[in-house]
Amino acid sequence: MFHMGWFLSYNAAAFGSRWGVRPTEWMKPQQWVNMGVSLERAGWDYMMLEDASFIPDVHGGSMQQALASGTAPKHDPMALVPLIGAATSRLGIIATMTSTFYPPYLGARLMATLDHLTEGRVGLNMVTSHNLRTAQNFGMDGQIEHDERYRRADEWIRCVKALWDTWEPGAIVMDEVTGVFADHTKVHEANFQGEYYSSRGPLNTMPGPQGRPVICQAGGSPAGRAFAAEHADTVVASVGSVEAMKSYREDMDERLVAAGRKPTDCKVLFVVSPILADSQEMADELAEIQLGTVEQRRERALAALSFASGVDFTTFDLDAPVPEIHTNAARSTMQRLLGGDTGATAATLRELVEAPPQAIRVIGTPDAAAAQMGEYMQEAGGDGFLISGTVTPRFVAEIAEGLGGALRRRGLIRDGYSHEHLRDNLLAF
Amino acid sequence: MFHMGWFVGMGFGVYGWNQRWSGNSARDVANPKLFIDIATSLERAGFDYMMLEDSSVIPDVYQGSREHALKNGTMRLDPMPLVPLLAAHTRHLGIVATAATTFYPPYLAARLMVTLDHLTEGRVGVNLVTASPHAAAQNYGFEKHVEHDKRYVMADEWIRCVKALWDTWEPGAVVMDEVTGVFADHTKVHTADFQGEYYSSRGPLNSMPGPQGHPVICQAGGSPAGRNFGAAHADTIIASLAENPGVENLKEYHQDMKARLVAHGRKPDDAKVLFLIHPILGDSMEEARAKQKAMQEATAANIEGLLAGMSYYSGLDFSQFELDAPLPDLSGLHNGHQSLVDDFVKRAEGKTLREALQARSQTVGSIELVGTPDSVASQMGELADEIDGDGYLVRIPPTRKALTEVCDGLAPVLRKRGMIRSGYSYDTFKENLLEF
Repeated sequence: MFHMGWFLSYNAAAFGSRWGVRPTEWMKPQQWVNMGVSLERAGWDYMMLEDASFIPDVHGGSMQQALASGTAPKHDPMALVPLIGAATSRLGIIATMTSTFYPPYLGARLMATLDHLTEGRVGLNMVTSHNLRTAQNFGMDGQIEHDERYRRADEWIRCVKALWDTWEPGAIVMDEVTGVFADHTKVHEANFQGEYYSSRGPLNTMPGPQGRPVICQAGGSPAGRAFAAEHADTVVASVGSVEAMKSYREDMDERLVAAGRKPTDCKVLFVVSPILADSQEMADELAEIQLGTVEQRRERALAALSFASGVDFTTFDLDAPVPEIHTNAARSTMQRLLGGDTGATAATLRELVEAPPQAIRVIGTPDAAAAQMGEYMQEAGGDGFLISGTVTPRFVAEIAEGLGGALRRRGLIRDGYSHEHLRDNLLAF
Repeated sequence: MFHMGWFVGMGFGVYGWNQRWSGNSARDVANPKLFIDIATSLERAGFDYMMLEDSSVIPDVYQGSREHALKNGTMRLDPMPLVPLLAAHTRHLGIVATAATTFYPPYLAARLMVTLDHLTEGRVGVNLVTASPHAAAQNYGFEKHVEHDKRYVMADEWIRCVKALWDTWEPGAVVMDEVTGVFADHTKVHTADFQGEYYSSRGPLNSMPGPQGHPVICQAGGSPAGRNFGAAHADTIIASLAENPGVENLKEYHQDMKARLVAHGRKPDDAKVLFLIHPILGDSMEEARAKQKAMQEATAANIEGLLAGMSYYSGLDFSQFELDAPLPDLSGLHNGHQSLVDDFVKRAEGKTLREALQARSQTVGSIELVGTPDSVASQMGELADEIDGDGYLVRIPPTRKALTEVCDGLAPVLRKRGMIRSGYSYDTFKENLLEF
């Protein structure tokens, strides 16, 4: 058995797509709440709301592309968590927080509150934010160097954990006969003194059902993976091939053991975008359509490279060799985009950006897709998949009711939840 | 007509812990249901808004320990995640949550409030506080808190930065044209480039503006610095005259705020000044008086609670002072709720500390309101007429009994007499607040 998640953004990505909700509805709760209900019915472990705090403007040196297409506005995912939590009872809800800019006390308190409101089903996806614009939006002149961001993130999460731990087990008494609410001898200061972050504590919010909310991590660089091995309960992995999945899981196994944890303590879920239809031929045809024309592929790939590197890739000569970029931004994403996962190297930038992008391919009828996913998991030894793709009610229905049903009938995913809390369900197998 | 609000004084915390009428309070802890009951009751009653207070510390000044606070349930969850839930259960009520400007990164707050403005469909407000205890600053990694008036200088810069971010999307920027396929017009989205002494942000905000544009801004500080901040930025002001009650004082406060609004280039009607009240309701005047007497006796007997309260507000451990001697000179020693402590000290002159605390415990709110729904409604109407007031905020612990007494007892009388709204004319909170 493996776990399923969904990787999404609280944005208007479906704007202009055939099956999307009306543009006036994307910011309202209903679509996201419905999605949570569908995924819980399908037996998903969690939905993971990614986030960003800037409007991309590297590509072409302007915000035009991002704003005109509707990919730019993104709303604070934290505000959706209680709403999805209220409509569901078992689904995990993970939302993203950037350690570089969130004061630890604020982050610790918000997550403890959400753990109560979801009755023990919340998770925190920790990111360090790579973009220069994000740093500037938060009042800094420049972005912090890549590896130092992870050193800060490590200190940040240790500070947050110290705050969560300021209420010891047994601190909450709530005895209506003696009238004692909490035992003050079991609530202590954190007195966390770090190089970047400090906090005295205790937290003025009592711990939620999970004690520490689930921690999720998505960075694939060595620094990111080391961080995950130390702190994460689940990892979002974005790679381009089954071989890369296998080596990712093996690498995480080693790192977890080196960090004094068991490989089963952290679930590595791989991002996939299944293409489903009533027949294999129809699915293949859809895949062909989604791949787009050479021009569309080129435009998308250049935008992705610009986004991940912080360098405007439209300024490079397409017929020259792929430029060497030493990025301070999203290192592992760049490596994947440049073909690092398969070892294939493109002779020119054109060859790179016009080629079909590397991806774990899941294409077919729901049953065939489920079979493929089962085989991939068998081969890679991973813990499951995260669905990604433009969120439309139709796509959610295809995945939840079509693919989800096929996976369940094959015994590949859970048929019900054995526990109340996200972490317990995540670690159940 | 005047406006009504409810000041939810412990935020997303614990109410009536282990007290009469507080119901199944352990089950209500960290659970949204009580707050949903508050919101739906207030909307039924025609209130303009509910305001969720907040704090970031467990008080530990009194006796240098957290014992008193924790034993009695002084604990708060973050009020922000309650906002979308309360909105999902209501259609018209304004929902205000508190943020401490001193610690919240402006970009984060600007974005959260815009998101909440969408999720409430234009009914969110933010109550700006500067946070008073040193312990709050220490929780946020500072050695000690900045001095009172400087906190307001920082708060002023903070809200200007947040507003600049809200304004990065000009009117007309969001196109969402399904025919041409254009989502937003990038020529109408610009950077904020806000450079302050304490806060900076480039922008633009990566979230689009909500139905209100700027969410409603609420402010509660009564010191001169606090009042000026409110006059410059607030749409509604919480006025607490508990230490300094009486019609003349209310009138003076009201007029002072209106003058400050004009001095800041705004119209007197641009911000609604609501006075905190503690109505005590009964079926007869005798019953209401008896209820008041019982409440006052219980509070006066709880000297520990009174000492702990003043310790929290002042940042000074009141357990160190002799109870049966006059209060020593505190000038220059406290850095907390400035105006509240100054008022207490002034009123303590010629009294022992015990007497001063007991006198304070007999606090009636801005004006004493004890009686039947009819008599209290009359008093509220007369007072509003006399001071030309904008309205009131109820500040009593929101047990379900208190809620229904106010919402189903007092409010219908106010409504029948045409003193408060009988419905909501607009979709957004701000428009309803500024309607009259």
